[in-house]
Amino acid sequence: MLDNYLPILIFILVGILVGVGPLALGYLLGPRRPDQDKNAPYECGFEAFETARLKFDVRYYLVAILFILFDLEIAFLFPWAVVLDELGVFAFWAMVVFLGILVVGFFYEWKKGALEWE
Amino acid sequence: MGFEKFLFYLFALITLWAAGMVVSRRNPVHAVLFLVLAFVSSAALWILMEAEFLGIVLILVYVGAVMVLFLFVVMMLDVDIAALRAGFIDYLPLGLLIAGIMAIEIFLIVGPANFGLHAFPAPAPAGTDLNNTRELGLLLYTVYVYPVEIASVILLVAIIAAIRLTLRRRPDNKYVDPARQVRVKKGPDRIRLVKMASETPVPVVAPALEKESDE
Amino acid sequence: MTELWNALPLVIQILLKITAILLPLLGLVAYYTLAERKVIGYMQVRIGPNRVGWRGVLQPIADAVKLVMKEIIIPTKADKTLFLMAPMLAIAPAMAVWAVFPFDEGLVLADINAGLLYILALSSLGVYGIIIAGWASNSRYALLGAMRSAAQMVAYEIAMGFALVGVLVAAGSLNLGAIVAAQQGGLFSWFWLPLLPLFGVYLISGVAETNRAPFDVAEGESEIVAGFHVEYSGMGFAVFFLAEYANMILISALTALLFFGGWLSPLPQVWVDGVFLLDDGFHWLLLKTLFFMYLLLWLRATFPRYRYDQIMRLGWKVFIPITIVWILVVALAVVYKLPPWWSV
Repeated sequence: MLDNYLPILIFILVGILVGVGPLALGYLLGPRRPDQDKNAPYECGFEAFETARLKFDVRYYLVAILFILFDLEIAFLFPWAVVLDELGVFAFWAMVVFLGILVVGFFYEWKKGALEWE
Repeated sequence: MGFEKFLFYLFALITLWAAGMVVSRRNPVHAVLFLVLAFVSSAALWILMEAEFLGIVLILVYVGAVMVLFLFVVMMLDVDIAALRAGFIDYLPLGLLIAGIMAIEIFLIVGPANFGLHAFPAPAPAGTDLNNTRELGLLLYTVYVYPVEIASVILLVAIIAAIRLTLRRRPDNKYVDPARQVRVKKGPDRIRLVKMASETPVPVVAPALEKESDE
Repeated sequence: MTELWNALPLVIQILLKITAILLPLLGLVAYYTLAERKVIGYMQVRIGPNRVGWRGVLQPIADAVKLVMKEIIIPTKADKTLFLMAPMLAIAPAMAVWAVFPFDEGLVLADINAGLLYILALSSLGVYGIIIAGWASNSRYALLGAMRSAAQMVAYEIAMGFALVGVLVAAGSLNLGAIVAAQQGGLFSWFWLPLLPLFGVYLISGVAETNRAPFDVAEGESEIVAGFHVEYSGMGFAVFFLAEYANMILISALTALLFFGGWLSPLPQVWVDGVFLLDDGFHWLLLKTLFFMYLLLWLRATFPRYRYDQIMRLGWKVFIPITIVWILVVALAVVYKLPPWWSV
């Protein structure tokens, strides 16, 4: 197992370096002349009125929750897809039931308008 | 073997450190990101234990989905950390006491007496060609097919609960339904051509009428 | 030569292999940016960059040099650590994904069994770079862009995941090499035909995942200036840029691999066996990848930007139902061995 994942571990570290390297280079080679206006957050030339942390529509949270649920579904689908050929008809109908139950939820979302972005 | 052990201790240390930072950071966004780090290093630990599928699914579901929701919530809610921390010292003795009792309880159950190497010797490492996902699938969709279907019902309940709890429709909201919009066809839906004569013979009384409307 | 290679420590070997993957990749990214400007230029009857070097071929290098020499501005109220960490979080997964990518039969750095799952997991991490950049900048535009982009990526990731499950069902394996092997037999055995709806969903979701036009509301210049990276300058911006283009190349390469037979030759095996350049090989994969990379630029030059509610509708209400239905159709064909693709 480790033989296969060691290259991945090293690759992730190298990937982080690919991010750090250019930033460090830019930091070394670029000028550093900060001033108050330059460092102010961009707001079309206005002074920022208040803090930028704004409250968002609850819809964003709903999307995130639905995302988690569907992601879990995908996690169930992956092993199923791999063994489908071996297990045959039984696994197929097991998944039809599984997806059928979830499609009920999907219809509910749809009819309730949870998927609408108004 | 030595290097594997080193990696285990490295990731275990990172996990513990990150978990400690989750509860001790003042900034909630930082705390959530440390939780992400804890999840990633525990995924690495699972992969070290040859639980390849579970390790990657931990990243896919927890890091890729659950923690994104946490970040959404924590970023947007102005949680007042100072208020939450008031009385930290007062509650400290009680908290430590409870934590201590829990640690002892956990040790009694999963300590070396019950889960030591005698009771559960380390299994022989499987070869790299063992397909973790396949083995799991073979079990899930034969022996444990009933729990899998129950899991789908639980997911259904979660979907309905999430919608009931968060969905609020604003009646004053004006919006266009994109589904209806994209069904617009070229022709009568977009533009209506009206046939009419370009000039009509002017009736004799017209000037008088015009004068009236001017006034 | 082989002895010298074997004498090297394992870590050095791996590092050399990683360099052999990353350097061409970064070169391709650099010239992809030039290609984008040239292609879109010609599509709009302009010439595109033509000042630096012969017909502008040195333009990417000039751009890189310019960006390195720029000041890295950190806004006053920004969360400094996170502000600098965000570009790294964006690029590290975009690079690390290539660890399991097979370039030819057996030519892969880490041949893990769960290859496709690994790719899906790592591409789901890409959203962190964007959210953290938007939040750490402490700027309204950045936060707005980050939220839009996050909700969009999340919606399309589901569609993408389902499309990948369809590929899995058809191939019966998570290993990318095995998925290509399952497509053996020429142009009409490749998965694009039996999985045509999933191919469309995958490609379009890929464009939406990378926040590219016509799904680029997250960085729509005309409304929220640049979205999540509005406060980034110099190399901070360049790293985000790098990550975005690397992800575009990944989407193109994965489309070629999963739906267009990867390194397999489009002609039947009996004709091309051993024939130079017509036989299976890395050049076919490269050719197919380049085609899809071109397609992404073409899309940008052709389509006007989608509205946000339309994007969300497409992701949830069109793609997810299509993929669920088609997964079951393919599964039915696999289980009952239906012709023409799954008859034994």
